[in-house]
Amino acid sequence: MTDAARGSCIRVRDLTKTYETYKRGSTFAETVRSFFRRERIEVKAVDGISFDVGEGGITGLLGPNGAGKSTTVKMLTGTLFPTSGEIEVMGYVPFRNRARYVRQIGAVFGQKSQLIWDIPPSDSFMMNRAIYGIPKGEYDKRLGMMCELFELGEIVNKPTRVLSLGERMKCEFIMAMLHNPKVVFLDEPTIGLDVIAKQRIRDFIREMNALGTTFVLTTHDLEDVEQLARQVVIINHGQKVFDGDLSALRKTLGDKKIIRLTLAKPAEGLEIPNAVITGRDSELELTLEADVSKTPVSALLKNISSRCEFTDISIKELPMETVITRIYQDGSAPIRG
Amino acid sequence: MAIFGECFRISLSTAMAYRANFIMVMTILFFSNTLFPLVTILIYGSGSGFPGWTFYEVLLIQAVFTISSGIGEVFFNGLFWNTNFAIRDGLFEVSLLKPVNALFWGVVSSIQPTGISVVLGGVAMAAVALAHTAPLTVASVSMAALLFLCGVSVTFSVTCFMSAISFKWVGNSRIPEMFGSILDFAKYPQDVFPLAVRGFTTIVMPVAMIGYYPAAALLGRADGASFVAIVPCAIFSVFAIWFYQKMIHRYEGVGG
Amino acid sequence: MRPVEAIVRRLRILRAVAFVTYKEWSAYRTHSMVSIIVGPLYFVVQYFIWNAVYGNAAAHGDTALHGMEFSQMLVYFGVNALIGYLTMDFADWNLQMLVGTGKYLTFALRPIHHRFFAFSQKVGHRILGFFFEFVPCLLIFLFLFRVPLVPPQPLWAALSIGLSFLMTFFVNYCIGLSAFWFVRASGIRSVYTILNSVFSGALIPLVFFPETVQRILFFLPFQYILYVPAMVCTGSYRLGGISLSLARIVGLQALAVAAAALLSEALYRAAMRRFTGVGA
Repeated sequence: MTDAARGSCIRVRDLTKTYETYKRGSTFAETVRSFFRRERIEVKAVDGISFDVGEGGITGLLGPNGAGKSTTVKMLTGTLFPTSGEIEVMGYVPFRNRARYVRQIGAVFGQKSQLIWDIPPSDSFMMNRAIYGIPKGEYDKRLGMMCELFELGEIVNKPTRVLSLGERMKCEFIMAMLHNPKVVFLDEPTIGLDVIAKQRIRDFIREMNALGTTFVLTTHDLEDVEQLARQVVIINHGQKVFDGDLSALRKTLGDKKIIRLTLAKPAEGLEIPNAVITGRDSELELTLEADVSKTPVSALLKNISSRCEFTDISIKELPMETVITRIYQDGSAPIRG
Repeated sequence: MAIFGECFRISLSTAMAYRANFIMVMTILFFSNTLFPLVTILIYGSGSGFPGWTFYEVLLIQAVFTISSGIGEVFFNGLFWNTNFAIRDGLFEVSLLKPVNALFWGVVSSIQPTGISVVLGGVAMAAVALAHTAPLTVASVSMAALLFLCGVSVTFSVTCFMSAISFKWVGNSRIPEMFGSILDFAKYPQDVFPLAVRGFTTIVMPVAMIGYYPAAALLGRADGASFVAIVPCAIFSVFAIWFYQKMIHRYEGVGG
Repeated sequence: MRPVEAIVRRLRILRAVAFVTYKEWSAYRTHSMVSIIVGPLYFVVQYFIWNAVYGNAAAHGDTALHGMEFSQMLVYFGVNALIGYLTMDFADWNLQMLVGTGKYLTFALRPIHHRFFAFSQKVGHRILGFFFEFVPCLLIFLFLFRVPLVPPQPLWAALSIGLSFLMTFFVNYCIGLSAFWFVRASGIRSVYTILNSVFSGALIPLVFFPETVQRILFFLPFQYILYVPAMVCTGSYRLGGISLSLARIVGLQALAVAAAALLSEALYRAAMRRFTGVGA
């Protein structure tokens, strides 16, 4: 049973957001002209998207830059009114009863810090404790648990400005989750972090998810998606182009495999039936792509061995990056998951 | 000059991109200068004044101060804010990576065209003042022009000092306030102050050159002290530039 | 939540935010040090200017200008500086910075009214200001400059300064809210700063303005920020030919504060409608 079918925690129907802005020139003359007369333009940042997020799930919201992901997340957090459409999160309509709604959610926006720069995170935590009205016992227990998960130790008692980006991001997570929110929105939480810090954040998200927190995550890091997301929603040009799980995502382009072949000797004009040569690293090293749903692997291997001699071969799944890139490039044609 | 011209063009484009704010800032800065001598107007309106000085003579001191401040507003003041913020945020390296002198880059990349309205306000005040004072002579105008240039150099030097202090007092946005309180002495006839104060504002930190001495020259009231005051201006400028360069070496990349 | 519980909760938040702000700003000791230089220096300038002006008046047989003696002027400017250290804030600048950088979003995501958060920040900041700006400058004025600064009616003075604390905050907050409509709202702040510096009495006592202007100023909010508390500290209030008892003028000040509070709430609601309409 999918997360969405288990019980929708978040319901989005025909969500649309339109902005009005002005065309500004780039050359000096255009800038001076636009000082006296400006052309108004309408931008549809989000265009009629609908999806569900199940309770206790982790949903990845993907899309190229400017696709409408952050605008969608802002509407889900109640900090932006939609132009039209419906949103329901845990029974709340986010942009109504803001104070009551935001008690139930947490958010980490990668570029917008809640921590106060010149003092230790522990002081910022205490401030949030007062704002959310967290009882002391619960606060101590939860803070201790999260600090242990992140192995922060005394770091929380150093001024924020001396912490590394990874340490600061861990503290941002703690800040966002001290009050035990049921749903947490993450907008590019691993941006700029090293591989170890990223892995710690992912492990943390998994641990908290196991305790029942629902996560909605926007990211450009596909490792985040592969490790965490059980549901993926892809937005492009403001429209939803994919909604399903990871295995369905991989199969959107068919059951494609990448074959790396090391030839025994150069083979000019080599052609393999039902496979396409997509790269040549040298005279002897080729990369092919084949759809094994159309040609089984055994048949493919027969085709290759009948046409050339090779000293090494590897067959792997199409990288997620390639899948996503092709979906982004294909535009807004929706793909069912 | 090419770099300067390009930076001026960019700063004008940037300022004009925010149309409402550009118009508002220009208007505010212009009218704020008609409010500037308000205290003087009200003092003389009460029936009193500064002994030995008419209202228009005091207004001329404040007009010259305003014109010099306006030039500072356009060309120099941005140096302080950009330096202050860059040091605080650990971004000063961006300036140091440019293949030009850091102080030069700091000045040309901080031009604020809206300050032109302050200059215009000062010119308007000066026109009103000069219409009610003794006629100008070639000698008085020449002398005043020389002293005015010295005053502009003092304005630049004060900004240099403030920017240099930013390397030590990281993130302190009140440094201009501190220097502003010293500059207050320069807005009035210097003979209202005791000798010790006048010595400070003429020799140690020659802020009196920003308004008083050039105005006194225009009024034909320049004396030996006016000429002597040129030397401290030169020394002050050299010291300010040296101080700024020295403080760059102390720069700490973590913003203090 | 019951009213008592709600008040206790708000006091806890105020205490937590004020404490955090106090700690944050105590990392910038040099900020406070600047006040110790600026205030006394500005007073020195005023001393010599008014000494010259009153000397000139005395030469013509006048010892008072607009009913104020030289000694009263010194008390006025001394009190003016000290009141500023107790009541100033950066609510306008802070709010414009938050909106300009997009960080206001982090407050929309928390169950707190941002104006209350900003007020709590002011409390923390001014507690720091009390110890590191007000007290040192008070000592300088009392013992170095020998200006007699003890108000003749301390209770009314304390109440008026407290109301000025609130008034400054509400007006600055209203100015800060303009950032929700204007991308670069520094211009509006500048307009307000200029008007306030002139019409609050910071530059010169308001009685020096022409009588017609004084009568207009009587109905504007600026006088309640500095002129009223400064005059209450000198023991008498007069503006536009109107003389009021301290009780009456402090009462009027309280009404002005209430009006400013209501205006800030109305503007805040409009700002939130705009914020959630066009985003951060």
